[in-house]
Amino acid sequence: MQLFLRLSLIFLLFVSVAGCYRMRSSNGGAEGTNLTANRLLNASDIDLPAGYKAEVIASELTFPTDVAFDDAGQVYVIEAGYSYGEEFLEPKLMRVAPGGSKTIVATGELNGPWTGITHHNGNFYVAEGGQKTGGKILKITPDGTITALVENLPSMGDHHTNGPAVGPDGKLYFGIGTATNSGVVGPDNYNMGWLKRNPNFHDIPCQDITITGQNFTSTHPETKQPMTTGAYQRYGTAVKDGQVVPGAIPCSGAVLRMGADGGTMELVAWGFRNPFGLAFAPNGSLYVTDNGYDERGSRSVWGVGDYLWQVQQGQWYGWPDFSGGLAFNGDRFRTPSKEAPKPILAQHPAKPPHPAATLGVHSSSNGLDFSTSASFGHTGEAFVAQFGDMAPNVGKVMAPVGFKVVRVNVENGVITDFAVNKGTKNAPASMLKKGGLERPVAVKFSPDGTALYIVDFGVMHVEDSKTTPQKNTGVIWKVTRTTR
Amino acid sequence: MKTLLYTLLLCLFLIACGTAKRGEPAYAPVNVSEPAVAQGQVVFNTYCTKCHPGGEAGLAPSFNDKPLPGFLIRFQIRHGLGVMPAFKEQVISDDELDNLIAYIKTLKKAKDDKAAPAS
Repeated sequence: MQLFLRLSLIFLLFVSVAGCYRMRSSNGGAEGTNLTANRLLNASDIDLPAGYKAEVIASELTFPTDVAFDDAGQVYVIEAGYSYGEEFLEPKLMRVAPGGSKTIVATGELNGPWTGITHHNGNFYVAEGGQKTGGKILKITPDGTITALVENLPSMGDHHTNGPAVGPDGKLYFGIGTATNSGVVGPDNYNMGWLKRNPNFHDIPCQDITITGQNFTSTHPETKQPMTTGAYQRYGTAVKDGQVVPGAIPCSGAVLRMGADGGTMELVAWGFRNPFGLAFAPNGSLYVTDNGYDERGSRSVWGVGDYLWQVQQGQWYGWPDFSGGLAFNGDRFRTPSKEAPKPILAQHPAKPPHPAATLGVHSSSNGLDFSTSASFGHTGEAFVAQFGDMAPNVGKVMAPVGFKVVRVNVENGVITDFAVNKGTKNAPASMLKKGGLERPVAVKFSPDGTALYIVDFGVMHVEDSKTTPQKNTGVIWKVTRTTR
Repeated sequence: MKTLLYTLLLCLFLIACGTAKRGEPAYAPVNVSEPAVAQGQVVFNTYCTKCHPGGEAGLAPSFNDKPLPGFLIRFQIRHGLGVMPAFKEQVISDDELDNLIAYIKTLKKAKDDKAAPAS
């Protein structure tokens, strides 16, 4: 009897400690956010390492996504002009004066989101997401004149045109996200909004590929008719085993580059899902953050982190058949109660490398920058803004993931929290009813490297598959070191 | 009967045994001066942190607030549990697993008292 009790104790301990994923409901940060007209702001609600302080530089922004600095060190911010939840507004480039007042420098078209900005040789370069008419890389002069260096990039789907970053070669590097979660158009894209606008849109490979002939049947959300769809095809188009899908440039899930005044686009690397943040390390290597698969759509993928990649010229990074260098060849990535994803490509272009770092599942690890100043500290480490989960739309989580800024040692992949809300649990400020971080979407160091600017997108709520972003809740935070 | 009652009470206690410890900087830095712990930290960041960010709950439950003995952690890593996959020797070697357990124990012991606040 005593032996039985001891074994029971160990068993119950084990079960209780492990918890039961299937029985628990989702508890993401977007599910509990508190939509409010007046966002609380209190820098002291943010936990930072000893010797650092945070302050608010600008507030009441609508969907800010990045900052840049001109040659005089003046701060500029872009408002995206589009957010999930199908909010279309005019994107804006604004100058932020000391004290937080904003002056509009340039206004874009209803084709956001503007996802990133950099300043180079006296001009601004902006990635226009292209939700309505396709992605663009824009050049904006200081007087606000906008010129498209390239347009019609294939980014009208789930993910957009991202970046840009200027490389050591003086070229503009930018990312193009995939149209879909994992290669197959389906009702989840209809829920996102774009499939109704662009029923012919789908992913495009960067080179010719041969596919395995898998087809996926879903119900059209409006007509209720069954739709059979293969990978890299418009919604409702089936494929055959051995079918060749022609590649093209520009393409989906890729990093490309071109001259600072435009010109021919060159492929840098592909096989990403959503290469959002692009930054060059002090040694000149390009790193990108890549948002991992979601637990949604016709080809659901479970348990996939976001990744930080060191980008090698010409490399293929695994989408849509690998995650973090691991192949879809078993149950590891199977969504509970659904079929495990099987390879779509009959031959893979390469064996993907291992990531530089593996970040939290659904953390939406987005903008990144490298510390280059000993006076700020952590020289050579990557700082990554984690927008935070969009559960349950992206899948179930047991607690909020992200909503903070982490630093990454790119030599060994160790991730450490840098700026995170105080409290007994990790969550966005609105969920905690505090005045700290909500959704960090970008980080950028000042030109002298002594200050880290955190772009906080603002409040976004997810409930019953509906995403509700809240205008005028975006913030720019500035973190500086006060003691060493 | 009394033993069974104690067992159930202990289980209930463990299920609700508090909020997961936060990562740095909310609490003092994890001491990785021991080489095994430092190597375990790398293994943790490679395989574990995506579902248990810093030991906290994320996709999966937290474990840095639960007094699970090392041999059970080891068993769960090798054999999986529920939706958690098994990590066999081909993925995490025995030496790496030893280091990982050392790191997890250090992580769980991280002091609840916070480092000096930023000025």
